Amino acid sequence: MEEIILKTTDLTKKYNNKAVVDNLNLEIRRGEIFGLLGPNGAGKSTTMNMICSIVTPTAGSIELLGKNPRKQKKEVIHKIGYIPQELAIHGNLKAWENVELFTSLYGIKGEELKSTVNESLEYVGLLERRQEFAKNFSGGMKRRLNIACAIGHHPELLIFDEPTVGIDPQSRNFILDKIKESNQKGATVIYTSHYMEEVEAICTRIAIMDNGKIIACGTSEELKKLVNNEKEDITLEEVFLTLTGKKLRDYAE
Amino acid sequence: MIRYLIKNNFKLMFRNKWSIVVMLLGPVLVIAVLSSAFSELMKSYESVEEFNVGYRVESESMVSGYIESIREAGKEAGITFYEYKEGNPEELMAKHDLAGFVKFTKEEYVLYQSADDEVEGMTLEYFLDRVMSENVNVSLQMMNATRQNDVELPVQELEFMPAINAVDYYGIIYIVYFSWCGIICATGVFSNEKKYGIERKFRVSNVSEMKLYLGKFIPINMTVVGGMGISTIITVLLHGVHWGKPLLSAMIIFGMILAGNAFGMMLYQLSKNLAITIIVQFTIVWILGFLGGSFETYMFSSTPDFLKHLSPIYHGNRALVELSCMGQSEYVGSAIVYSLVITAICSAIAILAGEMRKRGRA
Ligand SMILES: Nc1ncnc2c1ncn2[C@@H]1O[C@H](COP(=O)(O)OP(=O)(O)OP(=O)(O)O)[C@@H](O)[C@H]1O
Ligand SMILES: [Mg+2]
Repeated sequence: MEEIILKTTDLTKKYNNKAVVDNLNLEIRRGEIFGLLGPNGAGKSTTMNMICSIVTPTAGSIELLGKNPRKQKKEVIHKIGYIPQELAIHGNLKAWENVELFTSLYGIKGEELKSTVNESLEYVGLLERRQEFAKNFSGGMKRRLNIACAIGHHPELLIFDEPTVGIDPQSRNFILDKIKESNQKGATVIYTSHYMEEVEAICTRIAIMDNGKIIACGTSEELKKLVNNEKEDITLEEVFLTLTGKKLRDYAE
Repeated sequence: MIRYLIKNNFKLMFRNKWSIVVMLLGPVLVIAVLSSAFSELMKSYESVEEFNVGYRVESESMVSGYIESIREAGKEAGITFYEYKEGNPEELMAKHDLAGFVKFTKEEYVLYQSADDEVEGMTLEYFLDRVMSENVNVSLQMMNATRQNDVELPVQELEFMPAINAVDYYGIIYIVYFSWCGIICATGVFSNEKKYGIERKFRVSNVSEMKLYLGKFIPINMTVVGGMGISTIITVLLHGVHWGKPLLSAMIIFGMILAGNAFGMMLYQLSKNLAITIIVQFTIVWILGFLGGSFETYMFSSTPDFLKHLSPIYHGNRALVELSCMGQSEYVGSAIVYSLVITAICSAIAILAGEMRKRGRA
């Protein structure tokens, strides 16, 4: 069995005494693209933020590459690349300056930093537009820049929190291809989304999350079987709807 | 990695043009616009000419040993003392056209002022204040001296009233004042970090609070130093402001800049709110300036001494003004030490606040 790269045990986060992440147990193996699927407000971002030390858990533990990121943050944090759901790029910095700043936070400097910045920009297809201010970018370009800012230090674990919200199909496919590419180069990926087809297209394993809990976990085949053994052409969306017991329109906030 | 933080924070600061313009042109404009008003403000001070004062030394008065020295110091300062052993001070003042009257009692002195000679009255008050504070030293000497006549009041050091003109005074004071407002330069950094949610990215990295702090503190200080340098040069060229001892003066200003920015950084780290930071900083600087002679000259202001001494701006102002007109000042040391202490304490609190925020993250 493959190495477990991330393990959460009874991970819980409460806001105002309400658990938004509720005793979550996850195991992510090295080399996989793990999809975390759930409706709005399921607690996906909160989970990711706890893994990245941005939010402190109320209870439970996280084991990241064999370490406790709360106690041994210095030893593991640079092994994560976090692409936040809400863009975190400086509008008043140019594309290359953004990548430089965020990559430099991991101790990369000088010539190495310069070439890394170009690589990262090239990777997301923004090398040509490196001199433009981020605030003048389109939504899709900002999303791509957001990714470029998180990959320069070659993390072992890439966490994408809904990297494709609000962008056109071309950009979306571009990003999905890039995620697959990173994975082929050796990175483990956690991918959160509420788009079934994306998750189905790229993920090796999928967990469905609702109300802070994992309600099902497995490959897309396994998940489909879970719901209905007879029907041949069941979609993941139907699985999702059946399991969460909600209509999709309920998820719209 | 701190190099890149500094570099990019510089860019953010300079791309927020108005804050830099305010920093650069603020003091120049204020000094230009107000320089006519300054002379108005200081006219009374400059118009003081020689004047006469009556006095009486009561028996056992602490000054009886060196009243001659006081008279001499007064002569240097353009105040002539006449002794009146008898008579009501008020009547004597009216009769002999005296600007004031001093009664040296056993442990203190009583000052009578004439309503017509308000400026002379303030000058006399300031003079006595200085003389009496000298006396503390002198009295100590007296205890050791065998005969009271051995004691001489150090007249030369009793430069009681800085001979400074309005333009020099306010030219210097406004550079100090604006040095305390340097945090305005950081608007570009603070507002962008908040607007674009950058802090999350810092958390998912190894960058320490200390580095994040210095990454801002260093470029802010460099910018304010540059801005104040340019403002100073412009005001020297444009208005002919005189500075004394350039190196010492520069060190004092540098200390003021560090302290002001550290204080502002602390406010920001505590509040994480740009508007609160600017409003609180400007209010406090205004109060410190009010106490320290930024508006009314510290020589004439009626602020109690202990309040003046609380204000770091007072130490800076006084040191620089005295350096300008006397070439030396006892306040140089206290101005520099005070600013360094403020810088250290505020920086520590700022970094600690960041650390706590990180730990106690919701
Ligand atoms: N700082 C906070 N204070 C209070 N409640 C919060 C806070 N952050 C998140 N929540 C709540 O936690 C719940 C889960 O939020 P979270 O962002 O993790 O959901 P999500 O699965 O990422 O949703 P989405 O698909 O919309 O991104 C929501 O109900 C949200 O309102
Ligand atoms: Mg989310």
